[in-house]
Amino acid sequence: MEHVLEVRGLVHRYGDLTALSGVDLTVEAGECVALLGPNGAGKTTLVRNVIGLIEGDADLIEVAGGSPRSAVTRRKLGVVQQAVGFPRSLTVGEIVGGAAVRRGRPLEASSQAIAEMGMAGLEKRRAAELSGGQQQRLQLAMGLVADPVLLVLDEPTVGLDVEARRRFWNTIRRRLDNGAGVLITTHIVDEAAAVADRVVVIDRGRVVAEGTPDELRRTLPDRRISVRTKLPVSVIRTLDSVEAVELRDGRTVITTTDSEQVVRTLLDLDPDATDLTVATASLEEVLLAITNHEEVAA
Amino acid sequence: MNTRIFRTEVRDELLAIVREPTALFFTVLMPVAFFALFATMFGDDGGFGVESLATYGAFGVLSVVLTNPGIGLADARERGWLRVKRADGTPLGVTLSAKVTAALPYAIITLAGITLVARLTTGPLDVSQVLRVIGVLVLGSLPFSLFSLAVGAKFSTNASVSVLNAVLIPSVILSGLWFPLEMLPTWLGEIAVFLPPYHLAQLALAQVEGGAVWGHVAYLVGITIVGAITAALAYRSAEV
Repeated sequence: MEHVLEVRGLVHRYGDLTALSGVDLTVEAGECVALLGPNGAGKTTLVRNVIGLIEGDADLIEVAGGSPRSAVTRRKLGVVQQAVGFPRSLTVGEIVGGAAVRRGRPLEASSQAIAEMGMAGLEKRRAAELSGGQQQRLQLAMGLVADPVLLVLDEPTVGLDVEARRRFWNTIRRRLDNGAGVLITTHIVDEAAAVADRVVVIDRGRVVAEGTPDELRRTLPDRRISVRTKLPVSVIRTLDSVEAVELRDGRTVITTTDSEQVVRTLLDLDPDATDLTVATASLEEVLLAITNHEEVAA
Repeated sequence: MNTRIFRTEVRDELLAIVREPTALFFTVLMPVAFFALFATMFGDDGGFGVESLATYGAFGVLSVVLTNPGIGLADARERGWLRVKRADGTPLGVTLSAKVTAALPYAIITLAGITLVARLTTGPLDVSQVLRVIGVLVLGSLPFSLFSLAVGAKFSTNASVSVLNAVLIPSVILSGLWFPLEMLPTWLGEIAVFLPPYHLAQLALAQVEGGAVWGHVAYLVGITIVGAITAALAYRSAEV
């Protein structure tokens, strides 16, 4: 496989604070990698190193076969950043058109990017007059105007409605099909699970887990059994391998490390139990377990 | 490629002026109104012709180029817009030169306003002298724009406004741009030769009164080089 991003041993310090301690990361052509972790884990520092805004110490940091800055000047890198305030006086068309010029793309590329993000007809609207969701779509259109080998998307879908989100991911899938690599940070873990080929979990400046969403889910042996039963919670708690029991909307929810055994015992004790389902841990629960934090965010 | 980016950057800067002209209005109005006030009060004593265009014009140009580029850069940095341009690969030289270039129409409009007031208060002006003075003031504004950018790359928008105005007003007074240096205490007047606005005004005055120019030119070229290096270093190390 061809690496479009390769980071080896990246260390970044802010004075006495070590934000990244020897981070390794790769993104292959046509692969979508989601970068997850709690606030302050070092994701933004990592992203800023990858796009060449800051420079830490690394054994290797290579984007499309060159340094991040050279990838920028060679127009190999497309970026969607967080929290950008647009010039109030410029219109949507002028802003995306300017991005096309800076990326060495024809102006027609800006019209296409605007249309892809469902903003056709808003070209003459000033950025200051856009809603929060429209401004986010404008930000995405700027990132999509490029035709890069690596797209870095920092919280790209914040503030987007369902339709805009669907449009965006369709566009990203087309870029992936065409061989571009995508590195995304998002706090919407379900979204990461749905779109990412691979998830990299970062915490306290280190990569603490890595794999496909399914591989990560399997690292947590817990299963959740949901059932309507007359058995008291106090009885269920005494069963082998049961870790937790709670009542939710008339259902009993049991967390266990051996779901098969618990289900058999439950049905022995209460043959009339109904609506029984068994679910694996969600990716969010896995992340919480890995990082041992209450909050998982990009 | 860079020419195309430069044209787009300058266009964006100029569109901001045209679409939100309030800042332009006050930036131009203040030095022109100031000149009109002094010309009305002291015009009968003579000396508010092209000579005054040199000194008050220098003040007018400085009030524009010492503030606008830096404040604009600080604002773009705070908004995160500069981060976008860096990540898009906009060359440093293009960003900085576009800011400097976009300030020039402000400066030229200010000079045109002051020239008009001088014409109305003192009668016909020597067109050749006026054009030379304006040319010197516009070209000589470069180091001040660069200093402004260096401040804007390092300070917040509000702090940049304060720092640049704190530099502008004292240096304008101590360089003799508002009042003749003879009106100041001797020791204050002696500071002028160390101040860049003094050399800009003297170079402009030399277009009217004659006199040595190369010493002033050398001084301004020197501080332009220092200003360019400072602005580039400040921009490179700016937090975006």
